[in-house]
Amino acid sequence: MTFTLLARCPKTGQVGIGIATYSICVGLYCNGLRGNTGATMTQAFVNQGNNPLALKLLAQSYMPQHVLDELKANDPYHEYRQIAVIDRLGRTVAYSGPKNRGWAGHKVGEGYVAMGNVLAGEQVIDAMAKAYEVTADLAFERRLLAAIEAGRDAGGQTGNDGHLTERSAAVMVYGDYDHAELDLRVDLHDKAVEELRRAFEEYELYRGYYKERSKNPKDAMPQYAFVQSLAKGKKEAAQ
Amino acid sequence: MTYSLIGRCARTGRLGLGITTFSLAVGGRCEGVAANIGVCKTQAFPNRTNDPLGIKLMAQGYLPARVMDMFAANDTEHSYRQVAIMNRDGKVAAHTGPGCRGWAGHKEDLDCVAFGNGLLGPQVVDAMIEGFLKRPEDALEYRLMRAIEGGRDAGGQGPLDAHRAERSAAIKVVDRRDFPDVGVRVDVHPTAVAELRRVLEEFKLYEEFYRGRDTDPAKAIPQDVFVAQLKAKRA
Repeated sequence: MTFTLLARCPKTGQVGIGIATYSICVGLYCNGLRGNTGATMTQAFVNQGNNPLALKLLAQSYMPQHVLDELKANDPYHEYRQIAVIDRLGRTVAYSGPKNRGWAGHKVGEGYVAMGNVLAGEQVIDAMAKAYEVTADLAFERRLLAAIEAGRDAGGQTGNDGHLTERSAAVMVYGDYDHAELDLRVDLHDKAVEELRRAFEEYELYRGYYKERSKNPKDAMPQYAFVQSLAKGKKEAAQ
Repeated sequence: MTYSLIGRCARTGRLGLGITTFSLAVGGRCEGVAANIGVCKTQAFPNRTNDPLGIKLMAQGYLPARVMDMFAANDTEHSYRQVAIMNRDGKVAAHTGPGCRGWAGHKEDLDCVAFGNGLLGPQVVDAMIEGFLKRPEDALEYRLMRAIEGGRDAGGQGPLDAHRAERSAAIKVVDRRDFPDVGVRVDVHPTAVAELRRVLEEFKLYEEFYRGRDTDPAKAIPQDVFVAQLKAKRA
């Protein structure tokens, strides 16, 4: 029970994930992104060894299809997994094992995969894919967020007793460096997608400040003063 | 302004980091925790490239002290960084640059380094160590949690007349494999340390269930059934 948009941005070459699920702390399992290497995610019944292995294979220039074949061959329970692999050129494959529960499936587009399991139906991944595609003029992370919001709005997850709320969510982007450019998580919340949007919009206000502070610490404004300037700006904007 | 503790469980070899700060989403800037290699964390005015570099250097066999030398040589603003490094054997190096603001310092003790800046005073770092050492038999994630709670209870960030709330917090622990073993985060919250404790306690209830879905999915019960069982137990 999870819905995910995994992608490589055709404009910037960044790789990223937007994910939401009934499980808690889902961001903990999103360790399959590496700049100039690719993006991968295993979900449903997660095999935690898959993401690090897939990244190592991608780093050695194996094709995504071969990486996926290796993950399957290496795992007696692969039929329980849902897997997506994208390489640094945006070549993309996905697999929804027959033993995923509920409605499970994926949609592969140009450099992206929308996938999910225990969903309300195919409309969830269709909505995610569409939201990702129609937001091509937005920043990559905003497209990922738009996708999971669309998945939520299309019905999200359905368990044995009806709709299951999103209790955790995450959005992550990797670019040129081997540290994250954006890594935001909501681990435990009864409306995790809304909370992720709130955290994202708040963090957006600070991103430039944090980057500059690292590059040029001498001249950095104290953070408390920065927070006060934000509050002042908000107040003025409201007037 | 941040206070953190990097530590190691000598019994299991697990490595980890506990951190909290006034800044948002601090857990998204903690890449330097690597199974069988070590922990490296740069804060204050962080150089984001330090931590991945530190892990690569330790993976090649460099000792923490030598890694720190290379950070100094590789970074014109090293005097503004606060860095702690520990390898899998528990060897450490720590640096609090003179450019760090407010009260800033670090302290080593058995299997840990506590370090922070923009703090009320050295009692914050002392309390973190005390929290970490209190129950060495506990799982590392609990020891890290107790460390940051100790730091918070000792006054945390900011001078007396200008206390700064903890707005984000994180714990990250690795075991033998190359993915995180335990990792919980709070990214934007007015009392992030208390919220992190809540998330950690909840995660621990699911930990075995999630592991079972990985290692033996055929036997896994649906999660909504598992959650209903949890609720029944609580009632």
